[in-house]
Amino acid sequence: MTKIKNQIFSSYLRNPSLYDEIYDNDGNVKEVYKKLFDLYGEHSIEDYASLNVKARSSFFNQGITFQVYSKKKSQEKIFPFDLFPRIIDPKEWDFIERGAIQRSKALNLFLWDIYHEKKIIKQGLIPMELISSSGNYLHQMMGVDPPGDIYNHISGIDIIKHNDGNYYVLEDNIRCPSGVSYVICNRTALKRALFGVFNHYQTHTVTDYAENLLELLETTKPHGVDIPVSVVITPGMYNSAYYEHSYLAKTMGVELVEGRDLFVENDFVYMKTIRGPQKVDIIYRRIDDLFIDPLEFKPDSTLGVPGLFAAYKKGNVTIANAPGTGVADDKAVYTYLPEIIRYYLDEEPILNNVHTYHCNRPDELKYVLDNIQRLVIKPVDEAGGYGISIGNRLTKKEIEKVKKQVKSDPRRYVAQPIMSLSVHPTYIAENESFEQRHVDLRVFTVLGKDKEFVLKGGLTRVALKKGNLIVNSSQGGGSKDTWVLKK
Amino acid sequence: MSLEYSIVYRAENHYDSWITDAHWQFLIIPEENDTQTHIKIDFKNSVHAINEHSVNGYGFNTIRVQPREKFKDISFEAKFSLVKKKVNPFDFADEFSREQAFKKVQELEFKVDFEPFLRTTHFTAIPSNHDKIFSFNESKSIFENLQDLNQWVFNHIYYTTNVTDVNTTLIEIISNRHGVCQDFAHLFCALAKQNGIPARYVSGYLHQGNGYFGDSQMHAWTEAYVPGIGWLGFDPTNNLIASDNHIKVSHGKDYNDCSPLKGVVYASGKNKTKHSVQVVAQQQQ
Repeated sequence: MTKIKNQIFSSYLRNPSLYDEIYDNDGNVKEVYKKLFDLYGEHSIEDYASLNVKARSSFFNQGITFQVYSKKKSQEKIFPFDLFPRIIDPKEWDFIERGAIQRSKALNLFLWDIYHEKKIIKQGLIPMELISSSGNYLHQMMGVDPPGDIYNHISGIDIIKHNDGNYYVLEDNIRCPSGVSYVICNRTALKRALFGVFNHYQTHTVTDYAENLLELLETTKPHGVDIPVSVVITPGMYNSAYYEHSYLAKTMGVELVEGRDLFVENDFVYMKTIRGPQKVDIIYRRIDDLFIDPLEFKPDSTLGVPGLFAAYKKGNVTIANAPGTGVADDKAVYTYLPEIIRYYLDEEPILNNVHTYHCNRPDELKYVLDNIQRLVIKPVDEAGGYGISIGNRLTKKEIEKVKKQVKSDPRRYVAQPIMSLSVHPTYIAENESFEQRHVDLRVFTVLGKDKEFVLKGGLTRVALKKGNLIVNSSQGGGSKDTWVLKK
Repeated sequence: MSLEYSIVYRAENHYDSWITDAHWQFLIIPEENDTQTHIKIDFKNSVHAINEHSVNGYGFNTIRVQPREKFKDISFEAKFSLVKKKVNPFDFADEFSREQAFKKVQELEFKVDFEPFLRTTHFTAIPSNHDKIFSFNESKSIFENLQDLNQWVFNHIYYTTNVTDVNTTLIEIISNRHGVCQDFAHLFCALAKQNGIPARYVSGYLHQGNGYFGDSQMHAWTEAYVPGIGWLGFDPTNNLIASDNHIKVSHGKDYNDCSPLKGVVYASGKNKTKHSVQVVAQQQQ
């Protein structure tokens, strides 16, 4: 451990075995962070303590909260915001951005293929098992051409920096990924707290997400529609991401609706308004596939709109992301992403994948069971960090339990080497000091017809518990404002 | 030669409390195909709601009803008349030899193309302790094997009403050995698929003039895909090859894809439902 000389970083312990985002190996502050480091040094640690309290209450007062689900009860929490921003230089960002677009485009072509000719499977490049055993593969989507040929309009790609200094993708989230509203709220909060620091940098704006999202969604409007009417559909105020749903609707300038606000007549979708029915052309849905239409999918769901899928199939409404997209948001599909990129785009993958072991392959299952202490075990179909086991953190008893689970349903699990997420100085309130904490980065992309957008500045999530590697908000993580510098 | 059929489908629902919000979707219109042609479709409901014609996720015609007024009782009546061509179910051209057909079903491209009808579903999963209850004999053709399977299922299950329902799975059917047409169809599909032959659940109407099994409800049978021939209908409830007595409505992976009536009714309290089906045939020249 090396001690750092700077007033507020006086107690910062730098563990040299971890990749620190602001210090190089010799303990020098990296070029892009120098100015920030000096400016932060002008304040005392007491200043940060009081700024931190203010920032927290501002989030709470704005209602920027989320729900945590557990077996016993659900709880409303604020997503802790960290005062020390992450900075990404233009060159590095350019690489991330190109990599993110490449993945989104490849996944879109993959989805088209597996809902049409399934060439990639017929050529033996990926096993049929991958889709036939997936609960998210919707046969109802076979042969359907989504408006604008887009399935995954909205993606959130989770990227980490390993201790080798390279970026790796952990997940491609294309089932209603959340978090983008926090990106914008974090920026607002940081500017409010430390504008004197922010204005020393030329940083890309993040407030243009909603306008770009709407513009790109509109490029995929149904055929024959002139000026489309869009809505955001939410499961309702008890959903963990309700704040985000309302935020997106508000900033896009469209209505936020629940299933009961819409109805279908003659295969067109209408919204009930005080001026009578209003035809709806584009639906940004934050409801899972199986809940969108009780007449087609789960009959007991009250969240969706009866008849919606028939309207979609007729091409009368755009649903983003398209029903059935979830089949590609599967940790088993993830492992084939390099092949998928090469096959459809004829390019080499820009961003690395983490090596993944498939437990449905007997030899790999054996390796996983023998080396469980060195691996992260993930269920292929869970989101939000639920169900993840980190091998070296498990007790003997827990290891046996995980082994049993994996053996009973190998298709459900993949394993990856334990990646060492990079660390970043983070203000820790209970110790009143800046300390190293693990971070990742969620990058938000939007695909439209012949057009794409990447939000310049993703969501840097930080694991607030010391040594914790899981950064998800539902698992007690916080987040940081992320600055992408202009060239 | 052909037959003219008149089919009447009725459903009556009674609720103890007033219903103000309800949606129904009927999957009961006979499919139009090589052997079936519509003459007339007539659909009525008792609450003067609009009947919307639409198509479900698998491409079959549906009727959707959404009442605009509150009610406690609602009834539906559909009348279909159609012409059914008489065909000899054994009259097909077989392009492939027995060996070629068995080879074909092993090919990756075939497995990918027929993936929906080869995958195991909730209702077509064979319990692991009954893994090999019916294995195909490769010295016979696939068609002959399917005929044997049809007979095997027919013999294995005793046709008994009111012992199973729409939620019964094969675990129960195989060990208790009783059930209705839906259970026969699921067992047939499951075993055909287990032997690598694509199979699908078929929902429709059975003309019972000949004393076949199948109550006064909709009937269920199966179709299996034989390389070189195509989809062939098997009715394991009656140990028959589906013929001009079988009027097809829809097909799917299992009952879930074909349920004739789907309803979303926001109701408290009890409700009663009654369905009936009548099929009358007239010889045509």
